Amino acid sequence: MSGQPAVRVREVSKRYPLVSRRGRLHSFKGALLHGELWRQEREKEGFQALSGVSFEIARGETMGIIGPNGSGKSTLLKLIAGILQPTEGQVEVDGRVTALIELGAGFHPEISGRENALVNGMMLGLSRAEVLDRLPGIIEFAELGQFIDQPVKSYSSGMYVRLGFAVAVAVDPDVLIVDEILAVGDEVFAHRCLERIARLQRQGTAIVLVSHDLGLVEQLAHRALYLREGTAVLCGPAGAAVARYRSDVAATESAIVAAAGSDRRWGNGAVSLDSVELLDSHERPVRVLRGGEAASLRLLYTAHQPQEDFVFGVALHREGGTQVWGTNTDLDGWQPRRLAGTGEIRVRFPRLELAAGRYLVDAAVHTRAGLAFDYACEVLSFTVATAVPWPGCYAPAHDWEPNGPDLVRPSRDQREV
Amino acid sequence: MVASLYRQRGLIAVLVGRDLKARYRGTFFGFLWSLLNPLMLLAVYTVVFTWVIPAPRQVVVPFPLFLFAGLLPWLFASGALLDAAVVLPDNGPLLKKVVCPPEVFPTVTLLSHLVHHLLALPILLAGMAVAAVLGLMSFSWTLLLLPLAVGLWVLAVGGAVLAVSALAVHFRDLKDLLHNVLNLVFFLTPIIYTPEMIPVPALRRVIEWSPLTPLVTLYRDVVLLGREPGPSLWLAGTGVALGSALLGTFVFSRLRETLAEAA
Repeated sequence: MSGQPAVRVREVSKRYPLVSRRGRLHSFKGALLHGELWRQEREKEGFQALSGVSFEIARGETMGIIGPNGSGKSTLLKLIAGILQPTEGQVEVDGRVTALIELGAGFHPEISGRENALVNGMMLGLSRAEVLDRLPGIIEFAELGQFIDQPVKSYSSGMYVRLGFAVAVAVDPDVLIVDEILAVGDEVFAHRCLERIARLQRQGTAIVLVSHDLGLVEQLAHRALYLREGTAVLCGPAGAAVARYRSDVAATESAIVAAAGSDRRWGNGAVSLDSVELLDSHERPVRVLRGGEAASLRLLYTAHQPQEDFVFGVALHREGGTQVWGTNTDLDGWQPRRLAGTGEIRVRFPRLELAAGRYLVDAAVHTRAGLAFDYACEVLSFTVATAVPWPGCYAPAHDWEPNGPDLVRPSRDQREV
Repeated sequence: MVASLYRQRGLIAVLVGRDLKARYRGTFFGFLWSLLNPLMLLAVYTVVFTWVIPAPRQVVVPFPLFLFAGLLPWLFASGALLDAAVVLPDNGPLLKKVVCPPEVFPTVTLLSHLVHHLLALPILLAGMAVAAVLGLMSFSWTLLLLPLAVGLWVLAVGGAVLAVSALAVHFRDLKDLLHNVLNLVFFLTPIIYTPEMIPVPALRRVIEWSPLTPLVTLYRDVVLLGREPGPSLWLAGTGVALGSALLGTFVFSRLRETLAEAA
């Protein structure tokens, strides 16, 4: 995740014209003379689908885009894919883009799967020879067997989608755009699609993923962009963006005061987190500690109104957005009964088995449905120091057993991690 | 735009192949229809103008062949234009969901109609050969000029196809309008008659100024009548062809960015 970003979206706005008959006739002449069919109308009327959205996606990074229907997700995808042009701002994409927006778009029903795969592959930017070269892999992945030579109109919808997906991923794109397509196909195929996407991630493909399946976004995406009514509410670690979205949904459903706040901290304030601290084994607040030491996270809270439905949660992640660990009282099986006044709750780690580096802590208190009382992203950061500065997240207690090699055990203080 | 088309030449070739394959898929005669259609047409004209209606005397070659030589390029033009009016909306899913330069689609329309035209040509030549054997006419060296005449038609039709395809996206009425305009142009062009047959001189002048007149005349002169076209005819034909090509390219490139959104 370094170097030139694969996708750079800067202050992008998109306004759709609202089509009116008067506008059409009015601008017939203008269309030919100026090439701008909607110039006058654009300023007066129109639908603002996106306003001032900015973000970057690095190579190998997966960005989820979430939000309610009509929030501008698909418009943003089409802007990145180059299908639409932004009204304002810039979209820069480095490399070949493949959009899985509609699988099998443009398949011709009368000709065979093989010929359609050829045409589709070439439309996605491959040469004829490249498609022919990859055709066996496509057929195998799509599991079409002898059906590949039948006209596409005889395919089941599952076969259609499998072929579409197989062709699209065979392109080996630099940027892959996925719009809500993993919901199709059976369990086995959905699983293979995920595997394929994970492989692309490892190969350094930047992926933009739009889905209403928030679990999938949390699972696949490193970061996520939460859009609402065309503006970015939050662009950050996938877990945080998903939590913020869930909280807003829960607020809408229960008609409670909606979450307010910045993109780092939000909630309706019924319960507030007053402090979040990392304590070492001597109960001292620390910012640096050694890997493998005992530690605990302490959350101090104030319940401004008594609550009967509440969940405390914490999550750790790296600065780059890599999720490290997270849990909450509900996931661990604790039943809420009553929360009132002020108090504290701790998560204890007998050994904090983290690798060296800087970690960020998110802490939250919310209802079981996800409505945030107080959700604080990156409320605390701490650094873990270890003897072995290997990159990663996990540094478990371990020992070597050389049954054969002649190795000299290090002295006690050298070994300590 | 020309550069973009050249880059997409592989895709265009595959799409033209797909069009041709899909067209007659599942029919009994399959690809033979490309030959059978014009053959039937020629047969019908031969019967009608030999036994039903007396052929006009001004025409020196067998009248069915005269008609056929005029109709072939006309069918190429009108077929391509009618398809052009729907090609971008029909391919809307591709334009909207896949990054694909829009000029590919009208080009495919033009080329697949050109292929059909070229497949119908042998029928005309065969008809001429039969007539020549019967001593009704003779072949002329001007047949060698045919590729030039076809080239002018391709330029003219290509420009119109580009303009129509882009405009039809924004003005859906164009498709219906086009039917009527084509009907009018058909009768304003000396396809089923020669300008000399028109009794009213004013009307004859209108016909002579119809933009398709030089192209039809040129085509028929070289392929059938064995007349060497004069410089003024060449000039008029080339003017119409280049004018159409430039205007069409201009219109299309002006509207290009709006097509994916509106298709």
